[in-house]
Parts: sequence; structure tokens; C-alpha cells
Amino acid sequence: MSPKIRELIIQLLTYIILVAVGLIILFPCLIMLTTSLKADVNLFQVPIQWIPDPVKWSNYSEAFVKMDQIAHGLTFVRVLSNTLFVTLLGMVAELCAVSFVAYGFARFRFAGRKIIFFAMLSTMMLPGIILIIPSFMIWKGLGLIDTYDPLVTAAWLGGGAWAVFLMRQFMMNIPREMEEAATIDGANTMQTFYLIIIPMIKPALLALGVLIFQGRWNDFMNPLIYLNTAAKFPLVMAIKFFQESLSHEAPKWNYMMAVSTVLALPILVLYFCAQRYFIEGLNVGAVKG
Amino acid sequence: MLEGFTTDYLPTTLRWAGVAIVMIALMIATFWTLRRFKVRHEAAIGFVFTLPMTLNLLIFTLYPFLYSFYLSFTEFNMFQAPKWVGLTNYITMFTNDTYFWPSCSLTLKYALYSVPLSIVASVAVALILNRPIKAVGFWRTLYYVPAVLPAAATMLLWRWMFAPNSGLINYMLSPFLMLFGLQPPEWYTDPQLVLSVFVITSLWGVFGANSVILLAGLKNVPTELYEAANLDGAGVLQKFRHITLPMISPALFYTLITGIIGALQIFTQAFFMKIPAEMGSFLSVRIYQEAFQFSHFGYAAAMAWFMLICIFLLTIIVFKSSSAWVYYENEAK
Repeated sequence: MSPKIRELIIQLLTYIILVAVGLIILFPCLIMLTTSLKADVNLFQVPIQWIPDPVKWSNYSEAFVKMDQIAHGLTFVRVLSNTLFVTLLGMVAELCAVSFVAYGFARFRFAGRKIIFFAMLSTMMLPGIILIIPSFMIWKGLGLIDTYDPLVTAAWLGGGAWAVFLMRQFMMNIPREMEEAATIDGANTMQTFYLIIIPMIKPALLALGVLIFQGRWNDFMNPLIYLNTAAKFPLVMAIKFFQESLSHEAPKWNYMMAVSTVLALPILVLYFCAQRYFIEGLNVGAVKG
Repeated sequence: MLEGFTTDYLPTTLRWAGVAIVMIALMIATFWTLRRFKVRHEAAIGFVFTLPMTLNLLIFTLYPFLYSFYLSFTEFNMFQAPKWVGLTNYITMFTNDTYFWPSCSLTLKYALYSVPLSIVASVAVALILNRPIKAVGFWRTLYYVPAVLPAAATMLLWRWMFAPNSGLINYMLSPFLMLFGLQPPEWYTDPQLVLSVFVITSLWGVFGANSVILLAGLKNVPTELYEAANLDGAGVLQKFRHITLPMISPALFYTLITGIIGALQIFTQAFFMKIPAEMGSFLSVRIYQEAFQFSHFGYAAAMAWFMLICIFLLTIIVFKSSSAWVYYENEAK
């Protein structure tokens, strides 16, 4: 077989596999979307009805009305603002704290720096569950169980070790001449930090912001442990609540898919707008070993 | 409805802003104190900038770490003081808990099946994405989508698809089943199959993220190596085994470690999928249940410590083995 024909066959196979895997990825997502728009009678119809007939957009509003009935006070507006509150406040706090801490590690030598840094890194291997019980007790002692504080206020203390690590790598790549020039011009550390460093790491901040937003939006374990009142639940918890109570009757999968889509869609949109930053953020941490 | 906003959001927002101010004040105060003690300017700044993380480590990592160790030797239900019981929790865990060993086995098997499979799949996909193809960015973006979606939403989706009688998976399998005269698999009640559900969903979810990391690793392999191998007449498999694999072994190592640690701690997924009771559940979930549903905080702490030690040992084993198969470009490790 001539090498050209072999090359052609390999290219063809490559594209076939690419498309096949792409379909495997897309298939469940499309199922989620179409199921969310189906009327009850069409739910279990086979072969799969890709375009529902009728297209029940009202499933979305009905699902949230039903949720409000089950969990009093948990309307669509409320659950969405809960989620945004927890996500945004936590993200802002974490970004600020992480930037400060990363700068400290990246540029300054001080006693104990190595110890603190490696202690921080080793927490990445700790199962979160082992810290949960005493942390819960701390918050209980402060009287802040069933509030948003454990989710939001604690973010001022620095957030995830991976975030600090990522930011530190970025900062270490900034040429020192920039800071030296600023110092010669008479800037103190805070000014250098604010006017020089931050603008230079904007891409990293964006990547990190996107990843942190996603992490907090999707976070299930922390709201599960710290929140008790249904009306305070973010969307992830609302889904769980919804699923539990609905499974006593015949599950209304179209409603559940509708709520799932509402949960997943913002992240998906965010991802497509900022996907470069998602992937960039992932790579800086990983490949540089 | 407005009261909801003020009673729930406002106090937290005020405390949130308050903590920020306190933090800044603390940092400034620490700085001046350090300077009073004649600490070098650079050192003082560095310490102060990293103060939030240091506090985090002390309050929310070190203290819980030690305290949970202490708790594991007590009986504690949050209403009375912890009562020292010595090794009782551990003994009960190993001998008297019907769900303990099944849960361990479930968690371990899940990690053992899902991690290697996911690595193999990710490597394959990364290799394909590495080929000269049009619009590689589009494919990369697409493949990463499952990793971005919330686990809750996707688990619910898969639960819908794996439903025994009405689910899509069985519907699609039905031609094959009829051909071989088999019954549709009972995904939720057959112990053998329940694990497969989790493995399959995790595969779908994670191989995209891993393949992006591995793709970056593949891009870093110098093409001269392949050209030299071609000159020596190396075949495709030889090139893969002796050039590609060693050169991406750091990325593989990272994927393996994070994969194992992540798989052993699986939590959210278990809440959205049905598991037959006799199989127990994943260890993280068991710990959660013992602590927050049954108020056996001491017992839960003991289980958590057992889990920690297992993860630690596994990680050490993988690290130790890494010197045999991981190749670093700059050997100063």
C-alpha cells in the first residue's frame, strides 16, 4: 500500500473517531435538553423523540413552581440568587486572598516559607471529609451553622491550594525588572502589587476566576453540611431535594431534567466564552510538574 | 420575600465585609509588629502577604487534622462532651459494622476500575487530538464539556438513562440483548452492575479533562526524537513505547495521582444514584452519614482517619514506583 493512501486512511479513521467520541460526549447533553422539554406522555417513548412534540417550555416554570411547593420559599428567583450569592461573594474573596498569598510565595523570602508552602500543597491530598467534622464544630461554636458564612466568609483565608499554586507559577514568570523599575520610581510594595503585578497577571486571574466560579457553583458537599433551611439552598442542593421528594411519587423526569439544565447551562455558557482560560489554567498547573 | 433577603444575605454580607477589614488590619498589625522585632523588610512583607493562608492552614487544616484524630478515640454526638472510648471505634469499624468492608471494597474497586480506564481513554483521545486536524480547538473545547458540567446534573441525567425498564441505555442495548437472548441489565439492583454505572459515568465525565492535560504533554515532546527514530526504522508501536510514553510520563503521573485521590473521595455522585443497601456506599458518604445523620462524630472521625491512611499509603506507593517509570527532562527533582 503506498504511503499516501495509508496516510489518507489514517486521517479518515482519525476523523471518524473524533466524530464518534464527539457524539458520545454530546449524546447525554442533548438527551438532557430534549427530555426537559417533553410532555409526560412522551417521556418514555421509544424510539427517541429528538424534537419533542409538543415542545413544553412551560416545564421549566412548572418545575420551579413544584419545587416551591415542596420546599417552601424556594422559588426560582430565590434559588438562583442563593447560588449567585454564594458563588460570587466566595469567588471575589478567594481571588483577592489567593493573589496576596501567591505574591508572598512568589517574590519574598522569609523564614518558614518552604514549610508553609509544602504544608499547603500537601492539603491537596487530604480528603476534605476528614476536616469536615472539626470545621463544622468551629462554625457551630460561632453560631453560624445554617448561614452562608462557612461558604463565603471563610474564602478570605486563601481558598484552594491549587489556586495559590497556579497563581504563584504565573507570578514567578513576571520579570523582576518590572518591580525593580517600580521600586526605583519610589513605589512601595502595595503600590507595586496593585499597579504592576495585578495588571500583568490578568489572564491568570481570569482563568482562576472562571475555575473558582465553576467550583463554587457546582459545590455540593459544603452547602449540604452547613445549610439546613430549604429556602437557603443553592441550585445543586435544590436538585437533590427535588429528586428526593419526587422519587416518592412517580419521578417527573422532565421537571428534573429542566432543573438540571438550569444548573448546567450557565456553566456551559461561561465555559464556551472563556474556554481558553479553563484549559490554560489547567495546563499551567499540571505540565510544569 | 424581601425579609428573606435581609435575614439571610445581609448578615453574612456584613460579616464577609467585616472579616475582610479585620484581615487587612491584622496584616498591617502583624507587619508593624514584625518590624518592631527587627525582622527584615522582605521577610516581614512575605510573611504578612501569606498570612491568610497560614491562618487557613492553622485553623482549618492543622487543628481539624489533630482534633479529628482525637475525636476518633471518643464517642461524640455534639450535645455532650466527647467521651473517651479508646480503640472502640476502630474495633467496631473493623468487626461490627456490616457496611464498612463492603463500602471499602466498593470505593477501592471503583478507583481501581475507573482510573486506569480513564487514563487509557485519555491517552488515546490525546493522541488523536495531537494529529494534524482542522479546528483542533473546537474538538478540545467539546471534549472538555463533561468535566465542566455540574456532577449533580450529569448524575441525574445518567440515572435517567440507566433506568432498567425505560432507560435509554437498555433501549439501545435491546437489539444485542435480543440477539443473545439476554435480559435487560438491572443496573440499580444487581451488585455487579452498580459499580459499572459509576465507572461509566466517571469515564464520560473525566476523560476530556485528562486528555487535555495529556495533550499538552504530547505537544511538549520534541519532534526531533521522532525523526531520529524514523531514521532508525522504528515502527509506530516502538515509537510509542520508547518515546511518547516516557516523555509524557510526568503528565501521566499527575493524572494518575489526582485520579486515584479523586476517585477514592467520590462524594456528590453517590447522592444522586441508587445503590443496593447491602453494598454500603462510598467511604466519604459513609463518613458523612455516620456524622451528620446518626451523630456518631467520633466513629465518623475514625473512619475518616482510616481513609486518610489508606490514601496516604496508596499515594506513597505510586510515588515510590514513579522513579521506575517516570522520566523527568530536568533531573533536578
